Amino acid sequence: MSASAPAVAIRRTEPPALVAWLATTDHKRIGVLYMVTAFGFFLLAGLMAMVMRSELAQPGQQIVSAQTYDQLFTIHGTLMMLFFATPLAIGFANYIVPLQIGAADMAFPRLNALSYWLFLFGGVIVLLGFLTTSGAADIGWTGYAPLSEVRYSANVGVDLWIVGLALSGASSIMGAVNFIATIYARRAPGMTMFRMPIFTWNMLVTATMILFAFPAITGALALLYIDRHLGGSFFDASRGGDPIIYQHLFWFFGHPEVYIVAIPFFGIVSEIFPVFSRKPLFGYRLVILATILIAGLSMTVWAHHMFTTGRVNLPFFSIMSLLIAVPTGIKIFNWIATMWGGRLSLRVPMLWAIGLIYVFTIGGITGVIVASPPLDYQFQDTYFVVAHLHNVIIGSTVFAGFAGIYYWFPKFTGRFLSERLGRLHFAAWMVGFALTFVPQYQLGAEGMPRRIVDYAVSTGWGALNLLSTLGAFLLGLGTIPFLVAVALALRGPATAGDDPWGGNSLEWATSSPPPHHNFRRLPPIRSERPVFDERLARAGIDPAAVGVEPDVGPPGAGAADVAE
Amino acid sequence: MSMPSLAMRRTMFLALAALIANGCLPVPATQQGRQIADLYGIFAAGSIVVAGIVWVAASVALLGSRRAKEGLPRQVSGNLVVEGIWTAIPLVTVLALFALTVATLSGVDARGSGGVSLHVTAFRWGWTFTYPDSGVAISGLPESPPEIVVPVGEPVHVTLDATDVNHAFFVPRFLFKRDAIPGRPTTFDFLVQEAGTYPGACAEYCGVFHAAMTFSVRAVSRPEFDSWLASARSSPSAAASAGGSPSASPSPSVP
Repeated sequence: MSASAPAVAIRRTEPPALVAWLATTDHKRIGVLYMVTAFGFFLLAGLMAMVMRSELAQPGQQIVSAQTYDQLFTIHGTLMMLFFATPLAIGFANYIVPLQIGAADMAFPRLNALSYWLFLFGGVIVLLGFLTTSGAADIGWTGYAPLSEVRYSANVGVDLWIVGLALSGASSIMGAVNFIATIYARRAPGMTMFRMPIFTWNMLVTATMILFAFPAITGALALLYIDRHLGGSFFDASRGGDPIIYQHLFWFFGHPEVYIVAIPFFGIVSEIFPVFSRKPLFGYRLVILATILIAGLSMTVWAHHMFTTGRVNLPFFSIMSLLIAVPTGIKIFNWIATMWGGRLSLRVPMLWAIGLIYVFTIGGITGVIVASPPLDYQFQDTYFVVAHLHNVIIGSTVFAGFAGIYYWFPKFTGRFLSERLGRLHFAAWMVGFALTFVPQYQLGAEGMPRRIVDYAVSTGWGALNLLSTLGAFLLGLGTIPFLVAVALALRGPATAGDDPWGGNSLEWATSSPPPHHNFRRLPPIRSERPVFDERLARAGIDPAAVGVEPDVGPPGAGAADVAE
Repeated sequence: MSMPSLAMRRTMFLALAALIANGCLPVPATQQGRQIADLYGIFAAGSIVVAGIVWVAASVALLGSRRAKEGLPRQVSGNLVVEGIWTAIPLVTVLALFALTVATLSGVDARGSGGVSLHVTAFRWGWTFTYPDSGVAISGLPESPPEIVVPVGEPVHVTLDATDVNHAFFVPRFLFKRDAIPGRPTTFDFLVQEAGTYPGACAEYCGVFHAAMTFSVRAVSRPEFDSWLASARSSPSAAASAGGSPSASPSPSVP
């Protein structure tokens, strides 16, 4: 019987496409839903950024009102952090993690679907604020009390923001439980912990961080809601509460969150560097250790966002923050060492990964600068911090996110994204990134506060702001080639094949896109590169002759047919 | 190669370091600000070295691959010695930066004696500055931002709080800011070393007129300060009513 016959038989029993997508519990479809939705929020929040940059391009001009501007920066930050960066990582992981560990699906497929729908409606609820007469939330994405108390922000947009964030937080926690259960319980025979692909390792660490971090914000939001509507005074100093507690709760979530949206993407480029260098990841175990160290340290640094309150232990939070530079540096050096002596294939995924090294390094270094409290006294709440946070988040999430899309798009669809449009996209973002954020570092050093709708001509900040605005528009325009590439690819023929890049991990051992239950057959798993090992064996190359180190772990299973 | 080239190189390095330290940050006007600027100079020089190492190493790896032979490169999976090196060197670097940070911190956060006491209260969207020793109070809203006067060369002991939401007292030329949090007053000192007028602003987002919540600090000699204080005390209305009272509902002509 030919392989296509059963698939046709199954299709006949399937409901119409729309219903199939709405009711799906397939991790791949949920992954696609996550990624497409997250990217939609990204485009929306990006357009908001372009409106804000237009407002700031010249001193004294008025494109939007101050009220609108405040709503825009609040929703921009909220969407980018919680409805783009986090769910994009979860989307990639949904699609890729079960494939990489040789599983048929997630451990809890229906919980997985619920996570997606909570995330989608959480985002929609936050955005609904724009339809109310008093507008969307205008309290900053950090939502600091007492400003977010009902006495100062009575608008219903703030309540929608609270509810939307709480739903998405619940979604993230459910997703984390699901990933941890899947990774521990559903690995294929032979897939020991130290044979797991590095992206899956990064997701395991990320999911664990989510379980620690997200309950803190859920609690903070609940307390804030009680303050606003049920007569509470948790954050009201005049009635015995403490505004600083809100900041502790928020950043106890908020700082791990920064790594929650970075570590999965470090995982993506840790997949891409070996494949496009035709070498194993340099120091696989040290990279895992560095990931765990980053996660552990990230739980101990939250109050570095509060140095200027004068009410936190400055040396403790300073040293913990500085120490994160060490495992982060390990990763960067190990990526470079992976490229070192390799035969590099500079396809678009690799360009984004290499771009990440150049861009993210600057964000990491400026992070060391703001980890020093005396320097933070100048930079806190200025455009220096704005530039820094965009540098690390665009440098990790967005660069590696695009790298991952160009890398896995052939797996998702069987089709390549255009190499030429991809290069244009990448070039526009490298230039646009520098043009947007380098001026912002200087503006912040000169003392331009963040979250201001306007500034006086006498400040002399006009020229740098104009440059930054031009850069932001270049980033916006630079995204168009990507959208065109996706549209063209989806109309084109499926030419990518199962393993277009010469991949290492199990997602390349199945068809593109994979069948409903992922695998008809699994290769033997005797290292973290089972597909590479099998390719080598097929080519008749002796692993020792090319320097492959013998595996000392437990014996893996042989090639296995997967029972459907 | 001899002396001139070495001297030139040293000059170039110093010029570069000076450019970074002074080109990025405003010229500090306070004793505390100078300490912060000195620390920044060290961090900035270190940053350039680290960024240079990473960028050069990545570029060498990138360009080196052009010479790579056909076929599979050697499958090197790690090297504990080099990995140890790039763990240890950053570790020592951040510990050194931490030591410098703690040393600077004790200087910046140190409290002097003598000088002037100043009570700063931030509110939406203005400031009240009170000199408790003389009873002079200055208040201002965005349409006429308040200007405070302080003596040069003497510590100013600030007690900072807020009446409604969080704000922050920020003077860029002091290289310093501190959050003003309702119900949680905080204290710090600054000592202006150079006469002049220094613009300040609220740095913590506090609502719709946040951008307009500015003030300025004018530093003058002690005799000038004394005479300003005397005239402010004899005509309190002139100084105190500069911008209306804190409770007045603000209607600033700002965006």
